Amino acid sequence: MADETLGRSATREAWDLLPLYALDALDDLERRQVDRLLADDADARRALDEYRETVGAFVVDTEPPAELRAATLAAIGGATSDDGANPYAAVDPSTGDRPGHAADVAAGPEGSNVVSMAAARERRKRSWRLAAVAAVAVVAVGVPTGIAVDSRQTQVRLEAQATRVADMLADPDARLVTSTVAGGGEASALVSGGDVLFTASGLPEAADDEDYQLWIVAEAGITSAGLLDTSDAVSQALVEGADGEVVAMTLEPEGGSDQPTSDPIVALET
Amino acid sequence: MSGLRQTGPVPHVRTSDPNAVDAALAACAGGDSDAFGPVYDALSPSVFGAALAVLRDRDHAAEVTQEVMVEMWQTAERFDATRASARTWAVTLTRRRAIDRVRSEQARRARDQKDLDASAVGRERDVVAEEVDSAFERAAVRDCLDTLTETQRESVVRAYYGERTYREVAEDLGAALPTVKSRIRDGLSRLRDCLGVNHG
Repeated sequence: MADETLGRSATREAWDLLPLYALDALDDLERRQVDRLLADDADARRALDEYRETVGAFVVDTEPPAELRAATLAAIGGATSDDGANPYAAVDPSTGDRPGHAADVAAGPEGSNVVSMAAARERRKRSWRLAAVAAVAVVAVGVPTGIAVDSRQTQVRLEAQATRVADMLADPDARLVTSTVAGGGEASALVSGGDVLFTASGLPEAADDEDYQLWIVAEAGITSAGLLDTSDAVSQALVEGADGEVVAMTLEPEGGSDQPTSDPIVALET
Repeated sequence: MSGLRQTGPVPHVRTSDPNAVDAALAACAGGDSDAFGPVYDALSPSVFGAALAVLRDRDHAAEVTQEVMVEMWQTAERFDATRASARTWAVTLTRRRAIDRVRSEQARRARDQKDLDASAVGRERDVVAEEVDSAFERAAVRDCLDTLTETQRESVVRAYYGERTYREVAEDLGAALPTVKSRIRDGLSRLRDCLGVNHG
């Protein structure tokens, strides 16, 4: 019973906090106190469900922007079923390879005395290919879309590149490629005039000894596009000259790596 | 790029029957992406409305709406129709994300004093805030709010808009912490009873 694990007064206190929990009005410490109660007590869970339904009665349903529907269906991969078009057209269906995919270039001859390394490399190669395939949850839309790109924040954060970025955002021919990030969050690439504006939101916080690193995956090989500053809720980076390549992101040891040492968590085919 | 495809407008089909939404969510849990369209159509207005109330910015609310709808697709198997309606589940997920976003933005501002566009944001926020406030007249809870005392109503409504923890609400109102806590608790309990919400 909850009373045994929490103590009687702590239990009563947690019960008192349930309405505030339902309103997301608690700080982390109190929330954990309520979480312990909820784990133990079905009555508390039922009371919380009632409070949540009550909070739901405050919500006034409001139609979201119309273009969000197609973008969201594309993000889950469901847009393919609407018209049967194959969004993976650039990918050879037999191998999952895109023409000139860097993983092929990176893979050298494999001797029998390096079986484990070759196997590891093969695994890596395969997962980079998979990422390139999975990344093609693609929407082509006019910009500004207001979906994944916040021009206001861009101008604040990328002051030095503000003019370039502003030009990209104003470019009616700009394209937007979006994908979810393995492990959480969303990423998008705004492609305009040869450059790519990479935006990520909802990324889990990297461990203390890790950084998010961006890569340009080109025919000639994989090159670092720098570390992604994730101190804000929405992270952005201008990746110059990346148009037509794959922009990928990995978690790397703190400070970054010369070449990726882990599998990509997102890969956007621009 | 040959890999890109123009996505055209898709006709909206509204699914208002809660059981149909539950069934569509169950199909989503089974990986049926065709079932997601009806889920999106039924729930995205609640998600967008809930996000807008907290964020008061249509672009941010649209981003959160997309995040939540993708999260519902990915975690559809966790939805438990015996505990809550699909709408309540959607609103719960939305408020968590929207409030996280507001609080991390507040933390960023506290870190970063040079908030170049604070005034512009403020103006946009005011306009959307007016729209949110006038829309609130149509909320299902509206009539029941009259059953609350004025102080209960003020505390609950501030907490609903989500910018503040109840500690901060207490600071804003110049009231003692336990006082605000009990106002919100008693207020939300009264609303629950007035609305006839009873899972017992």
